[in-house]
Amino acid sequence: MAPGSAAAPAAVGGSRTSAAVRRVAGKLGGLLLTLFLASLLVFFSRFLVPGDPVRFLLRGREPSAEAVAAVTAQYGLDLPPWQQYLNWVGGILHGDFGRSLQYRQDVTIVIAERLPVTLLLVVMAGSIIAVVGLSLGTVAALNRGRALDRLTLIALTTLGAIPSFVGSIVLIAVFAVQLGWFPSFGSGDGFLDTVYHLVLPSIALALVFIVLIGKVTRSAMVEQLRREHVEVATSRGLARALVVRRHVLRNALGPIITVSGILVAGLFVASSIVEAAFGLSGIGSLLVQSVDRLDFPVVQAIVLLVVTVFVVVNAVVDLLEPWIDPRSTAGDSAR
Amino acid sequence: MTRPAHRPAALVIAGALSVAVALAGCSAAEPASVDTIDWSLTDQTAAPSGDIDSFDWVSYAEPSSLDYAYAFDYADNQVLANVCEALLRLNPDFSLSPGLAESFAHPTPTTWVYTIRDGVTFHDGTALTADDVVASMLRHLDPAVGSYWYSVYQNVVSIERTGDREVTVTMAGPDSVFNLAMGSSAGVIESAATLASAGAEYGNSTGGVNCTGPFQLAAWKAGESITLTRHEDYWDESLRARAASVDILFMNDANARVNALKSGEVDGGWMIPTEAVTQLNESGSGEVLFGLTTAVSSLIVSDTEGPLGDQRVRQALLMALDRQGIVDAALRGVGEVTDVLTTESVWGDASDSAFAAAFEDIESYPYDVEAARALVEEAGATGEQIVIATAPIASEFAVISQATAAAAQSIGLEAKIETVSPSAYTALFADPSAREGIDLFFTSWYLSSPDPLEMYAVLRTGEFSNYGEWSNAEFDAIVNEAVQIDDPTERTENAAEAQRIANEQLPWLPLYTAPMSMFLGERITGVTPSIAFLYYPWAATIGAR
Repeated sequence: MAPGSAAAPAAVGGSRTSAAVRRVAGKLGGLLLTLFLASLLVFFSRFLVPGDPVRFLLRGREPSAEAVAAVTAQYGLDLPPWQQYLNWVGGILHGDFGRSLQYRQDVTIVIAERLPVTLLLVVMAGSIIAVVGLSLGTVAALNRGRALDRLTLIALTTLGAIPSFVGSIVLIAVFAVQLGWFPSFGSGDGFLDTVYHLVLPSIALALVFIVLIGKVTRSAMVEQLRREHVEVATSRGLARALVVRRHVLRNALGPIITVSGILVAGLFVASSIVEAAFGLSGIGSLLVQSVDRLDFPVVQAIVLLVVTVFVVVNAVVDLLEPWIDPRSTAGDSAR
Repeated sequence: MTRPAHRPAALVIAGALSVAVALAGCSAAEPASVDTIDWSLTDQTAAPSGDIDSFDWVSYAEPSSLDYAYAFDYADNQVLANVCEALLRLNPDFSLSPGLAESFAHPTPTTWVYTIRDGVTFHDGTALTADDVVASMLRHLDPAVGSYWYSVYQNVVSIERTGDREVTVTMAGPDSVFNLAMGSSAGVIESAATLASAGAEYGNSTGGVNCTGPFQLAAWKAGESITLTRHEDYWDESLRARAASVDILFMNDANARVNALKSGEVDGGWMIPTEAVTQLNESGSGEVLFGLTTAVSSLIVSDTEGPLGDQRVRQALLMALDRQGIVDAALRGVGEVTDVLTTESVWGDASDSAFAAAFEDIESYPYDVEAARALVEEAGATGEQIVIATAPIASEFAVISQATAAAAQSIGLEAKIETVSPSAYTALFADPSAREGIDLFFTSWYLSSPDPLEMYAVLRTGEFSNYGEWSNAEFDAIVNEAVQIDDPTERTENAAEAQRIANEQLPWLPLYTAPMSMFLGERITGVTPSIAFLYYPWAATIGAR
């Protein structure tokens, strides 16, 4: 009896743990499968693009036949595609993304030299989006139906309608050229100077995305505000701020975090426009330039990087969700 | 035999001006609403009042590499020209003078002997030797390097040290063009030790370069800027750097460049978009200057099997083009209509008679739609279709393709514009299969040596860049003979004859020549606006205003 009664709770605990492990393992498996499929797509799509990388390397001058052969072999382009793929994936697993055709340099160096600017830009823009988007959404939700709500919604929609390149041009014209408060280009030297240089670019990048977070926050909170438990909490005389924080905002976090996952990838992609406008040397502008110049190894590495960030962020969001909102694992019956 | 290397200059601006195109597109399509700019050529800006600590310069793109073997672009060469020097020096007036070779001799028709200058040091302090010259030049012949300047070296049999300070280049046959190219990046000399130690990283942002120029590479912030500092032990006192350091900033976005110049954050830049000239001049932070060019903008006839295979149709199309209208609309008047494929600037060695034959005794194709229509009818080409390729590269591309299509239609031809991506457009210059079905495409073609033959050698039968496979036996014979003539003045007699034939037969349709533009801020002076900035250390003479 004793061992049995001792075993029962252990089994329950064990099944709970193993369920969690299975969930995480399942997620990881899905993640690896997604990355594998993405790597196939990223690698083989280059064969669909017209243009011969060797012709690019020799820039259309009349090359000697030996030069064509030598350059083809140097970049492993004489191998069958599947073998090129295996070499590529094998290299990546060892941290080697190949050589950039344009810069004649290791892709890892080309990217490493430009990644910090983009990361800082995305982090700064993300912070602006989080603070401004959440605040505006909360203000609108708490004043739903009133003038302030409508005004916020109009402001959000207007911001969302401004394309990043227009936002950049306006910000440069006003705050850099006219007022001279901020520099109009470059990323500066040292951390603080870089942050200063990235203020306008991160605002330009954030503008479009604020509307997304703002509107999701508003609708998620409005939905929660109508719920019974909020009314019960309010009727029990709990302070308004506490009700909003504990019962409304916390329950509304789910959709907000889900959208944030998508947003991260969006920020990386949209950064190309802002980086070009502000003369910043980041991953985004590097991607655009590399596509234009048929620099396949760099394009493949950046796309794979962005896909990885996207997939990982979403997997993390999925894993975090039950922690934030236990209902998502318990199933609908618990609601 | 010789194939001096050039590059379709307009392509270089690819991508950089895309935003400008979008913004300028509407105004450029309506010539009536565009004000033309008053302009004149500037030979030399005022001498500096003194040295300057530093100045900032803006470039439309980052150099892909500072390896001279791959320096074939405005972006690469405008930096490299200040850091690395060649055997000969190409001056702003497009004359050649001794560089790292203090003299050269041509003892037999197939040998060039260079005497290497004494007392020259590389940026790392080591002395220049004949071995460095041999090692630097041999790289162009190495298939594993894949040099962009290979065509200059294709007739070279051997490059050897034949004396303490002497290097002899032996050619397979007489080749006058080889020596002329030694003033371009094809003649650049790097330290042999640096080449060996840097290996595959030579010339990139980690490997760097170690040359003899008035400036040395101090820092390369990938994607953003290159910092050059004065080479204190520079051998030529007359070109000692006036600035202790120069920052060359890269801005792909045309608006960003113009803003930086307008606000005075940057002191100058080459190749200013014409749509920005007026606002820059009105900004009060400096002025836009125009200088010598060797580039001619023309339409390449890429299919001589189609309707444009008939000389009369080519002539008719040129006559139906309102070229002055194109210059006004696409370039706000900053340019001149031309009927030939070279500029006067590369005819410095010409005798008066050769010059007159090349620029005066030629056909001028005045705008005359009626006569042009009659020519097309005479050729029996009425109703046939031509395809014009274009790409969103710079604002003039749209204007020119549309004007050409309209001109073709006005003389009874059908015309179709095919818009391709900038990289697909680049492929037109490299890949014969990309040119299938294309009759015409636009280029701005510049020369890197002071000799018109560099242009006409390209149009010989079977040449790689003779895109339309145009063939004329008389033309081939004249050019082939010219390549073997050592006396530059005598050579231009042949070049003039080649120019006359090309002007009559129009393998390419010459449109206009536009001057090299430059913005000079109010802090600095001393630079000569000229396309020679590709190879001449232009930044060395810039000092405080």
